[in-house]
Amino acid sequence: MNEYAIEAKGIEIGFNGVKILHDVDFTVRKGEVHALVGPNGAGKSTLVKILNGVYHKDAGTISLYGKPYEYTSPEEALQAGIAMVFQDLSLIPTMTVAQNIFLKSIPFRFGPFIDDKASAKHALELLERIGVNAEIHPDDLVSDLSIGQQQLVEISKALSNDPKILILDEPTASLSTSEIERLFSVINTLKQKGITIIYITHYLQDIFKICDGVTMIRDGRVLFSKSTKEITLDQLVAAMTNDQGGKISWEHVQGLRETKPLLEAKNITTHSISNVSLAVYPGEIVGIAGLLGSGRTELLRALFGIDPIVKGEILLDGKPIILHSTSDAIEHGIALVPENRREQGLVLDYSVSENLIMPIVHRIKRLLFVDERKKDTIVKQYIKQLGVKTQGPGQVVRYLSGGNQQKIVVAKFLASDSRVLLLDDPTFGVDLQAKHEIMKIIHAYAAKGNAVVMVSSEFNELADYCDSIYVMKRGKLSECLSGSMTEDNLLYMVQ
Amino acid sequence: MNTTLMEKMKQVKWRELVIYYIFLGVILLFSILLFDKGFLSGSNLMNIARQTAMTSIMAIGMTFVLSTGEIDLSFGSVVALSSIITTKILNSTGSILLAIVCGLAVGAVIGLANGLLVAKMNIPSFLVTLGMNGIVLGLARWVSNLQSIPVNNDVFTFIFGSGDIGPIPILFVWTVSLTIIGHLLLKKTPYGRRVLATGGNKISAMYSGIKVPNIKISVMLLNSVMAALAGILYSGRLHGARYTLGENDVMIVIAAVIIGGTSMNGGKGSVVGSLLGALIMGILNNGLILMGFSVDQQMIFRGLIIIVSVALTMREKRK
Repeated sequence: MNEYAIEAKGIEIGFNGVKILHDVDFTVRKGEVHALVGPNGAGKSTLVKILNGVYHKDAGTISLYGKPYEYTSPEEALQAGIAMVFQDLSLIPTMTVAQNIFLKSIPFRFGPFIDDKASAKHALELLERIGVNAEIHPDDLVSDLSIGQQQLVEISKALSNDPKILILDEPTASLSTSEIERLFSVINTLKQKGITIIYITHYLQDIFKICDGVTMIRDGRVLFSKSTKEITLDQLVAAMTNDQGGKISWEHVQGLRETKPLLEAKNITTHSISNVSLAVYPGEIVGIAGLLGSGRTELLRALFGIDPIVKGEILLDGKPIILHSTSDAIEHGIALVPENRREQGLVLDYSVSENLIMPIVHRIKRLLFVDERKKDTIVKQYIKQLGVKTQGPGQVVRYLSGGNQQKIVVAKFLASDSRVLLLDDPTFGVDLQAKHEIMKIIHAYAAKGNAVVMVSSEFNELADYCDSIYVMKRGKLSECLSGSMTEDNLLYMVQ
Repeated sequence: MNTTLMEKMKQVKWRELVIYYIFLGVILLFSILLFDKGFLSGSNLMNIARQTAMTSIMAIGMTFVLSTGEIDLSFGSVVALSSIITTKILNSTGSILLAIVCGLAVGAVIGLANGLLVAKMNIPSFLVTLGMNGIVLGLARWVSNLQSIPVNNDVFTFIFGSGDIGPIPILFVWTVSLTIIGHLLLKKTPYGRRVLATGGNKISAMYSGIKVPNIKISVMLLNSVMAALAGILYSGRLHGARYTLGENDVMIVIAAVIIGGTSMNGGKGSVVGSLLGALIMGILNNGLILMGFSVDQQMIFRGLIIIVSVALTMREKRK
């Protein structure tokens, strides 16, 4: 009897002549939860997409439960017993939970028609199987569910095919803490039912909570594959950041708050925040700690002229300013790096350089046309400064990894010569190394006498990087907390 | 019992029913304004049913197209070409069956071409069908030599447009039966589910094993065939074909479908809503004629009404 659920040997693949995976061996024991980790762009997603039949490998063999398999599409992978829960949720928002779960095969029919009642009944059984039937109903519209709930629907959908192996691609990336706990208990339930799970994540601590084994990939090669008992978090972090990482934080400059504030909000109220006051001083990075839905994003929207201000005022350099639109804000030197980089921050099918110069195109034109030489100089300078891993300024942004995309979004706004930078969760879904590089850039920016307001859901990050922190709760902002905050303090305060 | 009824009432999303309010509002308005001009008379209502049949039938096909997030701007000229081909073949062979088959085949070929270009070559449907419209209209003008083609086959004209079954116009029968079939197809069959999924999220649909290109081809095909059928019905009702048939319908049909609650972004569609949308457009048209507006004025009014009603519908939905 073979002890492995998956044995992939010598997997190789390349796109457009660039080799992504080099001779990768990947094995997973039956019934274990196996973590697949590595920096962004290492090839994790590519590997599981090969296992899942989305990509076709150039070389190598795959055996499932000791039997060699050759499949060329996700459907064939499903038949072989592999189901995948995708990072970008694959649900149809305009349909109900039950309709989504059975979208693929639509198994319940009444003559030529769909039997929606039977579908709902079986959907309920699947939801019961992972113990979430109390909060998710088969007739709920998917667009009405939270991201965490959608994730659970996604898992139910994968289970409807009765898979033996389930691949979860960064399932916790957009979940709140309680939703993550929820997901872990669901994973444990699945494990008890004998399902083998491949778990891709950036959250290394989580691996020790739920995984039995871990495989680290970097630059398209397997670095090691071990039992979680044989390895520590520090070793994982070190391997991930190529031994250069560790914790980066810096000396907080003292006495910042003794000058005149650069940006000040006085008792501002919009439709979703009330009576919020804050001040940001030149050279300062101000953190806003708050949970999803606390009004943290809406605060930035107000400061950037998106949400109209009903009451109160915004002062820049001590002078009141009125923001009717985002272009007013940009005119005043305020820039926003949005939460959702793919939708709001980048034009995915434009090149790196076109994205970078978008906000400054009026400044680099000569007569009526863009000054190509000037453009090239600026773009190359930023690519170098930010350490963006790209094939060149002409590469299309869509094919960059998440961390590199985020660097470009940040760079785009730094290029615009703004004096106040508003950042909404700038390190979301970004690997550790890229995170440090992004924070370094932001810090250098602030050190020039500019001001930064940063919202984050990772409180250790706020504690490490910010000079002052405000806590946002239910549309209201706390007093300014300067000095040494810890992650635990903040976690406690936002609840 | 009572509580479940209450719950059900709560589940009904009143905002989505905006089309019914508009429908009732328009009827009420014209009933009052045009009371003495016979708006509510049986013969006028039957007239409306006849006049809106073709746009209603085209709206069914367009509902499927918009539900996948695509659009078709070529169907107006498909109406013309199919009517011309059908009548020409009917006049030269006398075979109704052959004429119908050829007329529908015109739609099928054009729809298939549209679909293949959109789904396989990844050209935006807006551009494909805009270009196709020119091609097909050119063909229609060329084949007909800019002449009207009369039809004198009584069986054909009875079945396809001019007949009445008792007091009910046969066009009304066509409209109702096709609407029921279209509604069931979209809302109750796996095919309809896949159409809505394709429009709801193309990538998700693909990952769910839906053959998105095939779905797109099929809706373009369906829409073109429905337009071809509308062309046949026009030639039956008007006892003849002409290259100008359908030229005013594109705007009306697309507006009817959107007013009826189908999302231009895909993922949401209602065949019944489209029928009501088409009826609203028809009633407005009828009302404008009864009020004595000239054709030019009618066109201006119709354009205004389309913009206003679509704006109202969109605003309701955004809330």
